[in-house]
Amino acid sequence: MTDLGQLLLAGLSVGGVYALVAMGFAAIYAVSGVLNLTQGEFAALAGLVAISASGNGFPLPLAALLGIVTVVVLALAIQRLIIAPVRRMTTLLSIILTLGVSTALKATMLLIWGPEGRGLDPLPGNDFTAAGVAVRSQYLWILGVSVVVAVAVSWFYERTLAGKALRACAEQPVAARLAGISVARASLVSFGIAGLLGGIAGVLASPVYFSAWDSGLALGLKGFVAATLGGLTSIRGAFMGGLVLGVVESLVAGYIDTGLRDAVAFVVLIVVLVARPDGVLRRQVAARV
Amino acid sequence: MLDVAGLSAGYDTLPVLHGIDLGVAAGELVAVIGANGAGKTTLLRAASGLIRPTAGTVRVDGRDVTGQPAERIAAAGLAHVPENRLVFPSLTVADNLALGGWTRRSARAGLAATRASVLDLFPRLTSRLGQAAGTLSGGEQQMVVIGRGLMAGPKVLVLDEPSVGLAPRLVGEIFAALGRLRTEQGLGILLVEQNARAAFRVADRVAVMDRGRVVTTGTPAELALDDRVQHAYLGGGYQA
Amino acid sequence: MARGREWIGFAVFAVLLTAFPLVAPESIVDIGVYALIYGIAALGLSLLMGLAGQVNLGQAAFFAIGAYTQGMLVTRYGVALPVAAVVAVAFAMLAALLVGLPLLRLRGHYLALATLGLGIIVTVAATESDYLGATSGIYGIAKPEFGGRRYDSAAEFFWLLAPVMFLAVLFARNVVAGRIGRALGAINDSEVAAECLGADTFRLRLQVFVLSAGYGGLAGVAYVHWIGVVNPNAANFPLSVEFLLMAVLGGLGSVWGAVIGAVAVEFLDEGLRDVIPRLIPHASGEVQLIGFGVALTAVVLFVPGGLYDLWRRAVTRLRRRSATPAAPSGSTVDTTDETPVLSRPDRPAPGTTLLSVEGLVRHFGGVTALDGVSFDVRAGEIFGLIGPNGAGKTTCFNIVSGVLAPSGGSVRLRGTRIDGRKPHVSARARATRTFQNLQIFGSTTVRGNVAVGRHLRGRAGLLRAALVLPARAEERAIARSVDEILALVGIADAADRPAADLSFGRQRLVEIARALALEPDLLLLDEPMAGLSGGERADLARLLRRLRAGGMAIVLVEHDVEAVLALADRVAVLDDGVLIALGRPDEVRHDPAVVAAYLGLDEDDEVDETADDPVVRAAVRELDGG
Repeated sequence: MTDLGQLLLAGLSVGGVYALVAMGFAAIYAVSGVLNLTQGEFAALAGLVAISASGNGFPLPLAALLGIVTVVVLALAIQRLIIAPVRRMTTLLSIILTLGVSTALKATMLLIWGPEGRGLDPLPGNDFTAAGVAVRSQYLWILGVSVVVAVAVSWFYERTLAGKALRACAEQPVAARLAGISVARASLVSFGIAGLLGGIAGVLASPVYFSAWDSGLALGLKGFVAATLGGLTSIRGAFMGGLVLGVVESLVAGYIDTGLRDAVAFVVLIVVLVARPDGVLRRQVAARV
Repeated sequence: MLDVAGLSAGYDTLPVLHGIDLGVAAGELVAVIGANGAGKTTLLRAASGLIRPTAGTVRVDGRDVTGQPAERIAAAGLAHVPENRLVFPSLTVADNLALGGWTRRSARAGLAATRASVLDLFPRLTSRLGQAAGTLSGGEQQMVVIGRGLMAGPKVLVLDEPSVGLAPRLVGEIFAALGRLRTEQGLGILLVEQNARAAFRVADRVAVMDRGRVVTTGTPAELALDDRVQHAYLGGGYQA
Repeated sequence: MARGREWIGFAVFAVLLTAFPLVAPESIVDIGVYALIYGIAALGLSLLMGLAGQVNLGQAAFFAIGAYTQGMLVTRYGVALPVAAVVAVAFAMLAALLVGLPLLRLRGHYLALATLGLGIIVTVAATESDYLGATSGIYGIAKPEFGGRRYDSAAEFFWLLAPVMFLAVLFARNVVAGRIGRALGAINDSEVAAECLGADTFRLRLQVFVLSAGYGGLAGVAYVHWIGVVNPNAANFPLSVEFLLMAVLGGLGSVWGAVIGAVAVEFLDEGLRDVIPRLIPHASGEVQLIGFGVALTAVVLFVPGGLYDLWRRAVTRLRRRSATPAAPSGSTVDTTDETPVLSRPDRPAPGTTLLSVEGLVRHFGGVTALDGVSFDVRAGEIFGLIGPNGAGKTTCFNIVSGVLAPSGGSVRLRGTRIDGRKPHVSARARATRTFQNLQIFGSTTVRGNVAVGRHLRGRAGLLRAALVLPARAEERAIARSVDEILALVGIADAADRPAADLSFGRQRLVEIARALALEPDLLLLDEPMAGLSGGERADLARLLRRLRAGGMAIVLVEHDVEAVLALADRVAVLDDGVLIALGRPDEVRHDPAVVAAYLGLDEDDEVDETADDPVVRAAVRELDGG
């Protein structure tokens, strides 16, 4: 029973990281139909920048902030320089484009930081044991922050005019433009949000899961799987998808075979795509007439 | 309020508009009729910035807005109510209206007043404010999109076939509202319609389009007896 | 590309392949070997992406499957190299079939990501499986040995692989230039139009997907015999990216492009591995990936058609400068000819019911677009479908042509139900359509467009593409039919021009010619008159009458009421999703319900010649006298 509890907690924790990355995918895809494969690299880069800053004497919160800001700026630059200029963007094209960028990013990180993985200093807190389950405080931090962030993002999209304007661009770009909403700027903002989410994920994950030049690959792909579980356009779905994926992965690794951990996400992806391409967890949206 | 001069526009291989001259003054309702394929929708799209004109000018309240993107022309005071009633389906009626006021979003008091007048114009919407716009009936959705356009406080309102697929009584309600807008608020209104009869009832002037050109204009009474109008309108092409 | 020129290309290629190991130093030949090996995989990928428009981000998975299978069979089971190779390639193709069957029904980007996942699954499976050697993989695979001679130097291996590559390119080129390639190109340009001309898009895409995986597996076989080892890294993601770059750089769908892309990328790889450590001393690992990433992004942004596209554009520009001005375009149809055209001996006799629509219903969310529409169309008649905007004509037409499924009711073509089935089923039953929003195949010529219409009249598949001669005879027959149809419709003078360059009216004619190439018994025309000049309309009307005389059934959806009333034998009028009139033109013309529908009258209004409303009066007078 404690095993189960342990696995669940670990699963929820990594799931929180997946959830943040997944929400970043959904944020961009919902507004512009772009599938941004650099999402994982955002997390990796934020972690590495934070580690370097921290190593150079910056206090932890500042280092983390620096990492996140770097990634947000990068995300905006990618949208401006690479995505926006393309006249006829299709999702397929965006995959290849962002694939190229992510490959270059990975290799750049390899160049700057070398091949080994490093960990950021953990956020303050004591580990403890409850009901036989060893609870690392970082797990609680990850879970807590990702829930808070998810709530904040949800609030943004559902209660602020700007968030609603972004949703409008996704649902009906022509009408949005006629109302004076700039769809181009909406795309830029959505990339910024994705960068923010990826950066937070990276900084949170680093102490436990380590940041390395290639940690973005698995993270990004799993984040994408989680977003697909939620329907790709739903922020809430992406969040739930992340948690579910994390837990399933943890259980499979614990009870069946640790080596299969990375394959779980993709088996899940293929099953979901074949069975329910619109996502398993997505809320019913009002029918369009 | 709206001045279109020598406007030409089209898509890819197909030129559609060939030098359109058309004007809408404040407090005037101009209807544009014509068969399908005449270029009526293209005219509105070129005026509102959804497509780029290849020649000619578009002026809103005296300002030259030719070639500007749709977002800027909307901010300049032209509200385009597109065909197919493009509401934001998962957002509530209230949200749809609020987004209509995006270009004035800092003017809180003004927005509140405008919203009140929109609800006064379309009382049906008051009870539907919290409902997702995608679940409304066609007529109600049409009211939402017109209201959304009005929230921007435009000088010119441009509508693309608002009566399509609507029961006659609702068409009457909507057109009566358009008449009120023209009279009470001094709005300039350009109405593209297939339903000639309803359009004739409410218009001050009518322009007839055929294959990308305005072939004749006049008051409804003058045009109703014009044989050429019947040709252009029912199809078969304008016969000189 | 003319056949003559192609043979020169192949001859040059053969010479290059033979001469290369003779003139180049050993280290360069080494790179050349890798270029060949990876090039085969890239060729498969380029075929898939260019022809089928699908992205496979896991080509390395099929590469690895081929490599592992070959490694296993040769080392553990002592199977002879050629036999093992066949099995290994078959295995990779089987894997692709299994994966493709469920996944190819998905929209393109889902397939892309699913294949990416496939690559990772294969890596994990290989790492975890002791049978497959886990992380060490399989080793000790010997270099190829034929007739007592070992091919273990770079030059020897290159010469061994060269004919394989040559044949791979030849086969790919035949696929691209043949019936399958043509159909896939059409699908890429307009899937719906290709379907309506009889192309079974799913099946075709699956075929190319499996073929492309076969190429990947073959490359894996070559790889394993060159390196001597295969481990889980063979399926890794950077390798898939490398294949992708080769295909994209060379130009998607271009056979030669893939070859050039492979060579370019391998040299780029080698160059970067050389240069980067010199510039940045502590660089280690896969840093040349920077170059790959930048190259991929740059190519997609600035040269999306790849090197092949650059080459083609340069050639076209040169040709245009030296070309004679095109002859003035004009109809070559005898304008007085009324003789019947395109009759078929097997066609049902005039008057037989060809199309039977019963109780057609269609909802969109809460809106009912069609509410119980029934009519039938007979051989040897022109049937008009008219109605005001929003009446449901387009919906009805789309359901009848198989593009949309009904919510209720049935559509029967000569007794066979076609409602809810894909359009190629209708095409097989000799019914096809044109499109109001033109669906021209923009990537090919007028001739190429019409040739797609002959898709169902040909049988050459992937296998025949390999055996050139049978396919050639078929192609010649197709070319003859195409010429006949072009002459009939009056666009023979524009036959070799890119279809996208033609005027709107002539593009309409191309679509009609394309549809006629199918030899349909039932032709559905979606607003064929729109955008045509008066003269063009008259010509088209004449053509339609001749087709009718030959026994064809034609359904016209039109806004030009006058044209329909003049041309049709029977007319159906829709309003608000319901059939309000059906009969001969002169009956329909005077039907009060029809007049009311077009004028948008209220239900309580009466249509009466003595009515006060001048609009009504004028309209009724018009319909009466017109």
